[in-house]
Amino acid sequence: MSLLDLKLLRDLRALKSQAAAVAIVMACGLAMMIMTRSLIVSLETTRDAYYRDNHFAQIFSRLKRAPNSVASQLAAIPGVATVQTGIALSVTLDLPGVIEPATGLIQSLPEQGELTLNRLHLRAGRILVGRESTGEILVGEAFAQANQLQPGDEMAAVLYGRRQHFRIAGIVLSPEFIFEAPPGSALPNNKTYGVFWMPYKELARASNLDGAFNQLSLRLVPGASEPAVIAAVDHILRPYGGRGAYGRASHPSHTRLRDEINILNGLSIGFPLVFLSVAAFMTNAVMSRQITLQREQIAILKAFGFSNGEIGRHYLKFSIIIVAGGTALGVLGGVFLGERLVDLYHVFFRFPALNFQLASAVVVLAVLVSSIAAIIGVAGSVRAAVRLAPAEAMRPEPPSSYRPALMERLGFGRLFTVTFRMALRNIERRPVRASLTVGALALATGILIVPNAFRDGIGHVLDYQWDLIQRQTVMVSLIEPSPARTLADFKALPGVILAEPVFGAAVELRAGNQFRRLSITGLPGQAELYRVMDSSGRQITLPPEGIVLSRKLAEVLDVKIGEMLFVRGLEGKRVEFSVPVSGLSEDFAGTAAYMEISALNRHLGEGDRINAAYLTVGAAQWNEFLRAMKASPRAGSVVVKNKIRQGFRETTAQSIGLLQQIYLTFAAVVAFGIVYNSARISLSERQRELATLRVIGFTRREVATVLVGELVMLTLIALPCGLLIGSGFARVILMTVNTEFVRLPLILTAQNYAFAVLVVTVASVVSALLACRRLDQLDLVGVLKARD
Amino acid sequence: MAHAVSTSADLDSVPVFQARALVKTYGEGEAMVRALAGLDLECRSGELVVVLGASGSGKSTLLNLLGGLDTPTSGSLFYRGWDLGGADEAGLTRYRREAVGFVFQFYNLIPSLTARENVALITEIAADPMSPEEALHMVGLGARMDHFPAQLSGGEQQRVAIARAIAKRPAVLMCDEPTGALDVSTGKVVLEAIERINRELGTLTLIITHNSVMAEMADRVLTLSDGHITGVKHNHTRAAASTLAW
Repeated sequence: MSLLDLKLLRDLRALKSQAAAVAIVMACGLAMMIMTRSLIVSLETTRDAYYRDNHFAQIFSRLKRAPNSVASQLAAIPGVATVQTGIALSVTLDLPGVIEPATGLIQSLPEQGELTLNRLHLRAGRILVGRESTGEILVGEAFAQANQLQPGDEMAAVLYGRRQHFRIAGIVLSPEFIFEAPPGSALPNNKTYGVFWMPYKELARASNLDGAFNQLSLRLVPGASEPAVIAAVDHILRPYGGRGAYGRASHPSHTRLRDEINILNGLSIGFPLVFLSVAAFMTNAVMSRQITLQREQIAILKAFGFSNGEIGRHYLKFSIIIVAGGTALGVLGGVFLGERLVDLYHVFFRFPALNFQLASAVVVLAVLVSSIAAIIGVAGSVRAAVRLAPAEAMRPEPPSSYRPALMERLGFGRLFTVTFRMALRNIERRPVRASLTVGALALATGILIVPNAFRDGIGHVLDYQWDLIQRQTVMVSLIEPSPARTLADFKALPGVILAEPVFGAAVELRAGNQFRRLSITGLPGQAELYRVMDSSGRQITLPPEGIVLSRKLAEVLDVKIGEMLFVRGLEGKRVEFSVPVSGLSEDFAGTAAYMEISALNRHLGEGDRINAAYLTVGAAQWNEFLRAMKASPRAGSVVVKNKIRQGFRETTAQSIGLLQQIYLTFAAVVAFGIVYNSARISLSERQRELATLRVIGFTRREVATVLVGELVMLTLIALPCGLLIGSGFARVILMTVNTEFVRLPLILTAQNYAFAVLVVTVASVVSALLACRRLDQLDLVGVLKARD
Repeated sequence: MAHAVSTSADLDSVPVFQARALVKTYGEGEAMVRALAGLDLECRSGELVVVLGASGSGKSTLLNLLGGLDTPTSGSLFYRGWDLGGADEAGLTRYRREAVGFVFQFYNLIPSLTARENVALITEIAADPMSPEEALHMVGLGARMDHFPAQLSGGEQQRVAIARAIAKRPAVLMCDEPTGALDVSTGKVVLEAIERINRELGTLTLIITHNSVMAEMADRVLTLSDGHITGVKHNHTRAAASTLAW
């Protein structure tokens, strides 16, 4: 080992806590980058392999009913490679020991062989094959796990109004339900929603669809045009009540996963970049101080004949070692966090196996990025050091020049104590360093805002949706449209206090070139249980003529209040009519259109009908009500509001909880690292000053105040900036998340801000105290007698 | 401590410093160095004492002990009857804050504060200080009060340091090689300032130096070597600092 390297090691040992602080901040950035990039790689490769191996379809459609012979017409469409038809039905489930009903989607298995598209992956038990019709069922894993169901367990389902018992044959996964949740929902609720499969014959009998299908999936030949095939499918299915075919881009599970990857993408660039910049700045601060302290040593080395290159490399090695430490720590941290997040993703996304895959290319990139950051960090001070002529370097640095701070020049000087003026002038003398310190602390504050803004946003949506809009206890959907008087039957059920009718009609809304297929919800004009709200939180009365759209839908369709909208029914008589847009509603999930129920029925021309009802049920008779409900032949599914709400709350808490922990750690590390490092550097630079103060009679505490006064000021500036930055982060990230399907409002609460401020303050105070302990070791006499 | 800083007349009979068998050692075992090896000393208010000695004679150690920067290994040290040798950290801090003014070879001014503010630093924490302006006038720097250290010459910086040391009206002024970093003419101006403080305020003044010429301005000259006082000389008439030459 060369002597210079030996010196390097000993210098490093002396600087170990500062070097560690820099390495840890760097490690946070790298860990975040490696974690997110690796998760993206893991999710994408696993998804692609799953799609490929299990033949995930490319085009999907639901319809009312078509004879199986139509399948060959579909297969003949140019560009179609494989067609799979089947039955899909909503069900209400009755689980032993669980009082509240769950709902789900049940799909058919082919009469012969296995599914050709969207093949199932068996987790436990066995797959049902062929024509067997033994009262057995396959259950999706998420639902099975949430409800602790095993192969061999029994469950009851209300299928097309008939209650049937099934035995669970197997637990399965499907590429169609990687995200196993009702369409449009942002979070899964596996306790109350599940997916199931059973043999075609049995399902067809139960739903009167023998020899027919009501859903299909297609795979295309390579190079086929998706829009063209979709148009052809829609054309063929038109007479059979086709509800509009769509590609993967509109597939609920696929889009939810895609959105998640988009979020990760955003996180994998923004945050690490900021962390690494902070680390580069810290490296720069540590190294320039080190080089200043070693001015004379550098001069002596040069006097002995060491070249500028050798000396430059010596100091670069210094930072390279810090980078190496930071990288090692970052990779370990990234892998550790990544593995924990993968476990969390398992709650949301069901794959046969989702394993953490370290994105090794990213590690290389990370090393490169942080090395460059560190080299940029030290290059300036190294250059300044080697440029000095040896004789000049051996002389002490001239005393630093100061001038009154801006505040004093403005005439406020008289208001400040002498020590306060010292802090002000020190800050002003090194504006870049001060602003970078403020920046880093602001960042630490800012990143804390994000997870809590998410939590509060979700909380707001849940409260808004379920306290303000939907005030029912349960929503009952009927297996088929029924006359309006059916509502009276529900009113008569035990415990029912209030019942209101709902009619949902599948339609196509068109304005100019824009169109959307969705369901118009018909409600009473001044409904009590489902209140359509405007953006200021007032209920919109549905007019006898006109349609109310969610703001997002109006935006997508590019229509304004008062403009006409063209409506085409997709079922039944397929009527076509125009209505004026009479209002815009505020809602956060999906896109919705509302009409007064009798106006809607009048336009559809099929009499006064309902296909769902909202009920409020008294708590006293709740169990009786549920028993009656489960036995009710007309009820297709029963959704209990509080059950869903609780499920959402748990999932949110779980996912936000881990993110919160990660961000909390990172923020604390950055705040701690930056304050500790700044205090240490300031202690080193101002040793003489501080020792002087001690000698002339300042107490230790007073000297500590002088040392950290500057940092306190910078922190005070940083905190409000951090809250602003954090709000900006939250806004940008929510913009990435928000789609036509899910919208989270930006909710920033005082508690959120207070928490961020508290964490950064505590981390700063602790690290400042640690640094101040060094004051005790200050050699008063030694420092004062030494030359600068 | 409260009474220790009193400068009332009845206390003038009590020596400011009274040291008996003062020992200070550094290190242990074979590496042990006896910096002070049983030293006896008394100093009275108003005296100007010059301590001479070569490097390693123990003169700086003596200043550290008298100045409350360090505590003796053994022996007794009293400041106006208060046990300075047995004081704890907080006691020493209060002693330095209230009773001692320091002047060092390298000035040790706070670079971010002007001359006036460097002095005000003390006047803000002292019990009965003079105003920074008054202190700076005493050292002849009335015209440069709002300059920063970087804008002052070495001699001016040292005079600011003296003003800072005396602004609290200390009982003792400790000067460690006060002219060590200055040329002769600047050094003389600094010594004149010290002399004036001693004369006008009656502050016990200790000047530690290896420059024997300064001995002429003292009331008493102590010579230290190997941790012992090896010579004491009383000057019946003190030479004015302006007449010194080296």
